[in-house]
Amino acid sequence: MTTELDPITLQVVGGALHSIAEQMGNVLYRMSYSSIIRESQDLGAGLFDTEYNTLCESDSTPMHIGSLPGYLRGIEQTVPLSDWKPGDCVIHNHPYKGASHSPDIAIVMPVFFEGELVGFSANTAHHVDIGAATPGLIIDVPDVWAEGMLLDGVKLYEEGVRNENLWKYIRDNTRVPGLVMGDLEAQIASAELGVRRFEELLQTYGKATVLQATRQLMDYTERMMRREIAKIPDGEYFAEGFLDDDGRDRTKTLPIKVCVRVTGDSVEIDLTGSSPQVPTAFNVPFDGSTMVAAFFVFRAMLLDTYTSTEFVPQNEGSFRPIKVTAPKGCIFNPVMPAAAEARFCQIQRMADLVIKALSPVLPEKCTAGNAATLSFAAFSGVRPNGDYWVFLEVNEAAMGGRPESDGPDTIEELMRNTRNNPLEDLGMHLPLICDRYEVRDDVPPGAGKFRGGSGVVKSQRYLTPGYMTHESDRHLDVPWGVFGGKEGACGKMEIYNFERPDEIRQEYSKFSGLRTEEGDVVSYFSPSGGGYGDPLERDPQKVLDDVLDGFIDVDHAKEAYGVVLKEVDNGYGWDLDLPATEALRAQSAA
Amino acid sequence: MIRVGVDVGGTFTDIVLEHSEAGDGEQKVFVTKVPSTLHDQSEGVVKGVLQVCKLAGVEPGEIDMLFHGTTVATNMVIERNGAEVGMLTTKGFRDILHMGRHKRPHNFSLQFDVPWQSKPLVKRRNRIAISERIMPPDGTVEVGLDEDEVREAAELFKKRGLNAVIISFLFSFLNDSHEQRAKEIVKEVMPGAYICASSEVVNVIREYERFSSTAMNAYIGPKTARYLSNLENRLKENGVDAIVRIMQSNGGISTIENSSERPIGLLLSGPAGGVIGGRWTGGHCDTGNVITIDIGGTSADISVIQNGELRIKNPRDTEVASLPVLVPMIDIDAIGAGGGSIAYVDAGGAFRVGPRSAGATPGPACYGNGGTEPTVTDAQVALGRLDPAHFLGGDISIDPDLAVKAIEEKIAKPLGFTVTEAALGILKVINNNMALAINANSVAKGIDPRSFTLMGFGGAGPLHSVALGEIIGAKDVIAPLQPGITAAMGLLVTDLQYEYTRSVLAFLDTADEASFANVNKIAGELMAEADAQLESDGIPKEARRFKKVMECRYVGQGFELRAEMPDEPLSADNVKVVIDNFFDIHKQQYGHAFRDQVTEAVTIRVVANAAVEQLRLPDLPKGGRANPEDAQLYTRKTVFDDGVEVETPRYDRMKLLADDTVAGPALITQHNSTTLVPPGHTATVLGHGDLRIARI
Repeated sequence: MTTELDPITLQVVGGALHSIAEQMGNVLYRMSYSSIIRESQDLGAGLFDTEYNTLCESDSTPMHIGSLPGYLRGIEQTVPLSDWKPGDCVIHNHPYKGASHSPDIAIVMPVFFEGELVGFSANTAHHVDIGAATPGLIIDVPDVWAEGMLLDGVKLYEEGVRNENLWKYIRDNTRVPGLVMGDLEAQIASAELGVRRFEELLQTYGKATVLQATRQLMDYTERMMRREIAKIPDGEYFAEGFLDDDGRDRTKTLPIKVCVRVTGDSVEIDLTGSSPQVPTAFNVPFDGSTMVAAFFVFRAMLLDTYTSTEFVPQNEGSFRPIKVTAPKGCIFNPVMPAAAEARFCQIQRMADLVIKALSPVLPEKCTAGNAATLSFAAFSGVRPNGDYWVFLEVNEAAMGGRPESDGPDTIEELMRNTRNNPLEDLGMHLPLICDRYEVRDDVPPGAGKFRGGSGVVKSQRYLTPGYMTHESDRHLDVPWGVFGGKEGACGKMEIYNFERPDEIRQEYSKFSGLRTEEGDVVSYFSPSGGGYGDPLERDPQKVLDDVLDGFIDVDHAKEAYGVVLKEVDNGYGWDLDLPATEALRAQSAA
Repeated sequence: MIRVGVDVGGTFTDIVLEHSEAGDGEQKVFVTKVPSTLHDQSEGVVKGVLQVCKLAGVEPGEIDMLFHGTTVATNMVIERNGAEVGMLTTKGFRDILHMGRHKRPHNFSLQFDVPWQSKPLVKRRNRIAISERIMPPDGTVEVGLDEDEVREAAELFKKRGLNAVIISFLFSFLNDSHEQRAKEIVKEVMPGAYICASSEVVNVIREYERFSSTAMNAYIGPKTARYLSNLENRLKENGVDAIVRIMQSNGGISTIENSSERPIGLLLSGPAGGVIGGRWTGGHCDTGNVITIDIGGTSADISVIQNGELRIKNPRDTEVASLPVLVPMIDIDAIGAGGGSIAYVDAGGAFRVGPRSAGATPGPACYGNGGTEPTVTDAQVALGRLDPAHFLGGDISIDPDLAVKAIEEKIAKPLGFTVTEAALGILKVINNNMALAINANSVAKGIDPRSFTLMGFGGAGPLHSVALGEIIGAKDVIAPLQPGITAAMGLLVTDLQYEYTRSVLAFLDTADEASFANVNKIAGELMAEADAQLESDGIPKEARRFKKVMECRYVGQGFELRAEMPDEPLSADNVKVVIDNFFDIHKQQYGHAFRDQVTEAVTIRVVANAAVEQLRLPDLPKGGRANPEDAQLYTRKTVFDDGVEVETPRYDRMKLLADDTVAGPALITQHNSTTLVPPGHTATVLGHGDLRIARI
């Protein structure tokens, strides 16, 4: 064992690792073809040691961060460490062997130094279509076989030579080979870059130093995380909520129960009591998704990169103090062959419930109820020449109010952090046109001293007939307020035809393989966040600003916030009536 | 010919005056420095100009041309004190600026700020949606412009007292008729207002980036225009009658009129001068491949010059204060590492340097202004690399004991180091941070530093250059003649330059005659626009130069790279040139490129420039001496990176002559800079006084 490195070398090697991961992520999303990778950046990339510890990871989207070790452990069931050769490249997406979910395909390449396997360069990216039952996304399917291609630790390259049959097989089994094959090329380029840079790092500093540095960096991150957990009083903290339905049985909501058990500088998240697994794809792979959500929420809450000045490297260390318990056969730990592709809404809610459970003891670090959902829309159709087009769109939502600021409006919250697609780019390339993309103003966001964020409304119009699958939730369980804040608003989905805009049909949050006609408009309204603190304590100026900006109206200002406005003729229409406000607030508080 | 360059920095305004006789006649250069006047930069500028005139013994009226790099526009964005802007946009899309790309700025945070929501360029109340609809892919009108709504909105803006308005409609890059008509109406209602349409500011696809760039242009427009006209008037009042040109983010210079209309092109006006100065220095040192690092008090600016050409940032990456700015900018990365960067041990026991900075107040501990935290400058002082007597030419007095004390208390004791070890550690960490940033702007983009020269400037640059050069594996290192004013010198050596862009969206491999005709038509129009601009600047025909570039991607990709176009009109015969150029750049950037993919052109960009007369430095008399005694000042103990303390001679840079060599260990000092020549290295004085430092 190498002796402890000096802090200077440690900082130097740590910086180099961080920069390698960033470069890997950059190559992947810049080179890629599908909008879900190149615009949304639904990807992750990093370096790993032979014990599958994360040495560094790109800071792309939280869902992918921390998921790759699960893939590597899954691959080992097929490719043991002794079977790796330089120039190999394994492709893997098996949801019961560590994958986050089946569309997130991993590309893994070994890193050798002086003839010895020292680690891996790997990345995952969300692929537009892997030949599942319905184009792009799935909800109501019977089992994992309906998810499409299952790639279980298969060597795509052996010692630098591509397996052309496998390559052809993949090309033949997706609806959009042009996108999927190009994206795989980008993943391979990114992994190759990681291999090269890792080898260079080993050459510069020597294997012992680099590996020792990675160990110490993990210890450092672990130390930082434990220090924060230790500040939370020991005890059990509970929260619960429910999901709309499983996408097939519309009569039954699905409970989520979270118990956060804090003991010293460790913590356990126990999901016992949550819904049993469901007969659709609305289940969560345990290793690749449930665990990752638990890691995420503690990191975001306790080592918040906005409020802390120190950069804590992203590695395995932050996971070590956290244990996750979910009984076999529950929605968070399904048993094969249950389908488990549509898993995001559940883990968003799980993360949000952890925040809720801990809010009484972490008032400065929590938020009010976030939208904590997903709107994942698969638009598709067949072009006149017979080619498929498939477009995956992630619609944002909003966050709950916070200890010192309003919840952000129209933003990617919690586990996701993708980018939207430029409407003009889509319009130029797809038979789809966006008719509306704005802040939701049909309902006010949750009132509070710091209000919740307003959700989004987005309306997409089909210019030719097509199909649609929508993975979403939260039409029923409203985002909560905290510390006197009021609740936010649920989401909804409306469908109508451009020619008949008054004939609006309400749709469930999830639906599969819906056939659409020319002119059909699909309007998604995301949930809005809950408020933080007593609305009567909100700065009246902020209430006026919200009225002038149209986030709330004059009546809501008065009813929810006790703020009275008077009409003025200055072009803005309204100004504060402070004496009336003070009187009303005094009366409301009494 | 008398030309003056004025570079306004955060602390000082640097002024350079060049006086040259016609032809190859005698030429003299004068430099001076005045405190920046941040409430109105033009005060300091004029004061400095008058001061340099006095120094040079010329009358203000004799100045022919004045070149200016300004941070006015940038500061306005960072401090968010621009104009109250009104916006007309397409109905159904009122909040494009509020949503941005819906990605939050932090992955692991719940309490983060969203700058485009908390400090918007246009408040929601001032974004008014108008009935109108242009449709892709060909720009047909689905809903005509409702002119009454436009007029009503303009009346409202007027009543609200707004003085800037933008018109940003979806798909206006396909058809700008609605934007143009709306602009006319707004102009009728608000004749004095600053009005711009998105298709005029940046005529390219992607609504958020185009709208936000337009909003930023209007946000900084009125005040920037006022500043520039104040500057012009103030100069005139003081007898300066020169032609005034402003440094642009793309490394060119432009007129006051153009800069007032498109202030968005000025956001890197400040740091651009340094890079140009670096290129020019490289030029007269016969070095076309240069990595520049301009090291200041709190930050360092890094850029790469390849084959004598500036690298322009991919338009997808250009942003200022977290907001997209779709204009060409030199690829400059700024990192929070400089002389004032603070070293500390964090709560988890990690040793960190920066990005927190001691700033101007209290400044480094050795300034004795109450600073107790050790900085990079303190480390240099503690190691004997900065002499109290020569610090900024003795303009600021420093106390080495305070530097030692701060390092001892905050770093050495907690980590169990000696002061020397701790000071060396501070420099090692800061140099490493800078080197990683250099790598991100070079190696990560396919640049091999082994064939590049590292050039460090800014006062502290030459203290770090050799160490940085070693870490990144640069070929050698250059310390420019005047490291402290390289940026101001850069202003005197920039070309007049304009860029014009338009979206084209054409599949190159399968393009037909009509497609080529459309491309050539757009290119022709852009060329004509560019030509007219140079004409109005009075540039003779033979001095005008044009470059045509296509921003391309493989069909289905989302990011474009620049591929140069042939001079001749594009046709089936020569389109392969563009495709091949794109292939090459794709391969260079990503390590991969494809022959079986179709290349799509997304935008055409025409770059027009005209060379202006260049600053010429006088030749230095030949010395050819080794370690010239005439230039030696004294020796003092100095610690180098190997931790060994050696008696190290100081040389007076002003007394060194061409071809003189100075063997390390040595320090070469001048008024506002010190160059470190470590053991095992030799500095050679080049023809104009620049130093080239290489391993023996």
